[in-house]
Amino acid sequence: MIYKKIVSGLFVALVFGGCSQVAPDIPSNGGSNVGDSDALSSQTVTIDENNINSNGGNGLNSVNNPYNSSSDGFNSLYFDFGAYSISNNMQSVLAHDIQRAKQTSGKIKIEGNCDEFGTDEYNYALGLKRAKAVKDAIVSEGVNPSRIVIFSYGESNPVCSTMSDECYQRNRRVDLKLAR
Amino acid sequence: MRIVLILIMSVYLHAIDASLHIVKDVEDRTHIAIVDASSMQDSKIQDIIKSDLKISGHFLVDKDIYSESFDSPITTPSLKNQEYVLKYKYIKTNGSRLIIRLLKASNSKEVFKKSYSISNISKIPFLLHKAIYDINGFLRYPDIDWINRYVIFSRYTTAKHSEIVIADYTFNYKKVVIRGGLNLFPKWASREQKSFYYTSFNGLYPTLYKLNIYTGAKSKIVSSEGMLVCSDVSQNGSKILATMAPNSQPDIYQIDINTKAKKRLTRFGGIDVGAKYVDRESSFVFVSNRLGYANIFKKSINSNSITQVVYHGKNNNSVDSYANKIVYSSRESSNSFGANSFNIYLSDLDSGRVRAITTTGNNQFPRFSNDGSVVQYIKRVNGASYIGYSNLATHKSMLFPLGVKKIQAIDW
Repeated sequence: MIYKKIVSGLFVALVFGGCSQVAPDIPSNGGSNVGDSDALSSQTVTIDENNINSNGGNGLNSVNNPYNSSSDGFNSLYFDFGAYSISNNMQSVLAHDIQRAKQTSGKIKIEGNCDEFGTDEYNYALGLKRAKAVKDAIVSEGVNPSRIVIFSYGESNPVCSTMSDECYQRNRRVDLKLAR
Repeated sequence: MRIVLILIMSVYLHAIDASLHIVKDVEDRTHIAIVDASSMQDSKIQDIIKSDLKISGHFLVDKDIYSESFDSPITTPSLKNQEYVLKYKYIKTNGSRLIIRLLKASNSKEVFKKSYSISNISKIPFLLHKAIYDINGFLRYPDIDWINRYVIFSRYTTAKHSEIVIADYTFNYKKVVIRGGLNLFPKWASREQKSFYYTSFNGLYPTLYKLNIYTGAKSKIVSSEGMLVCSDVSQNGSKILATMAPNSQPDIYQIDINTKAKKRLTRFGGIDVGAKYVDRESSFVFVSNRLGYANIFKKSINSNSITQVVYHGKNNNSVDSYANKIVYSSRESSNSFGANSFNIYLSDLDSGRVRAITTTGNNQFPRFSNDGSVVQYIKRVNGASYIGYSNLATHKSMLFPLGVKKIQAIDW
């Protein structure tokens, strides 16, 4: 008998103890407040950097490639999705760029770019890896590494914007130009 | 034998209690209707008030907006079925003014009344958020301060040009903070949201700056060749986690803001990005391609061992953390343009439990609210973009039209 009472008591305690979300007590005197929210009126600034030149490159494209976004006689190299190694079918392009680098003097800027797929932080890193792969290939052929500056633009510098495999392919690239 | 039976009964009853608790949560939401007593009704204001009440998870909101006199008792008979009626009057003269009354539906008793004003009309969404926040607090529901906070994001305007913008959580208010140049990856510098870090790509090397949104005061933190992104800030603001590439190799670093001392935290020849503090800032989670594709890993600040955290998905390239929970975006299809490309998942680092927050579309940029109760994300589906919020307790999600070009990075 005592055992049944204990079990029943446990049952009641657990069931009603679990239902413990009590409706909130509302103060009977409403809490009227006709104050003003001054904190919301703080004005924020707008900084205008429209006069800043963000490292645009100028110069002629020397190759009959309408998609070439490099300049100063260099050709762009293209990459597979997610990849940053230079593929076999880009070797002739690379050879051209190495030759061009040896013909020029001054600093060379190598810019890595990506398609818009995935987050931009990852794509900035991927673009940087692409740029570094090209830099390493050029340096391995005797170009002074101090001449080369690499930069990643991630998704920020597309040459096209349609949502297609062809456009994504065109944006997965490295551009080369002379730094100014 | 008796002890065994008691134990079995206790476990059984606890299971029943847990399921009852879940059902009770849904039914416990306060039924509320909205009365717009403004002389010039504005549907945008109505929508914001509705959204705030709904996304809080504490209210069941009548789908209709009613019209009545502001000062009178409740006259619409159907409103008596509610628990509360929120009457408001929006006045647009010399700025904006909002007056609200919360009435008990059964007897029209006024239990709460407040007035708000703001000189900048464009910031009316914040006025509305504050009103709903106050009602929620008055009714003693769990805090929803996150609806009052700024969202900051960057977007491209043209190639190599961007803007950094602040917005309210519904994106009804937006204001450009930095216009022109190439400035990206904004990150709030503290909970107070007075300043933010961002990366400027306008010089030869990426440079991290800190900008005060009220004074415009700007200070340089650090430069790095190749890449530089602030991905997380410690609770006291003294340290940040950043992706840097001083030797053209992207790795995770911890930077002391005061001394500018840098500590390299990862040494991997591939890609390590997007670090977020966990384990009371003794460890961090981050995105790495060390398995050949982007995935989420965890590492202690002061040791070299690295553990894999996520075991599904083809590409997991974005992560955020709150306490020991993470949210991440996982690619689930090979088709770039398929109906199901990326989904958001919530995972508990201690228990290993995982659940999906989204199920369709292209969902990226998951971000916890400052209290960890809500997850924000960007959703692209059927050619349109939305900002989404998922209340983790109520499992209720809401989408708002993004109304901007593709977002580059976002913080909340």
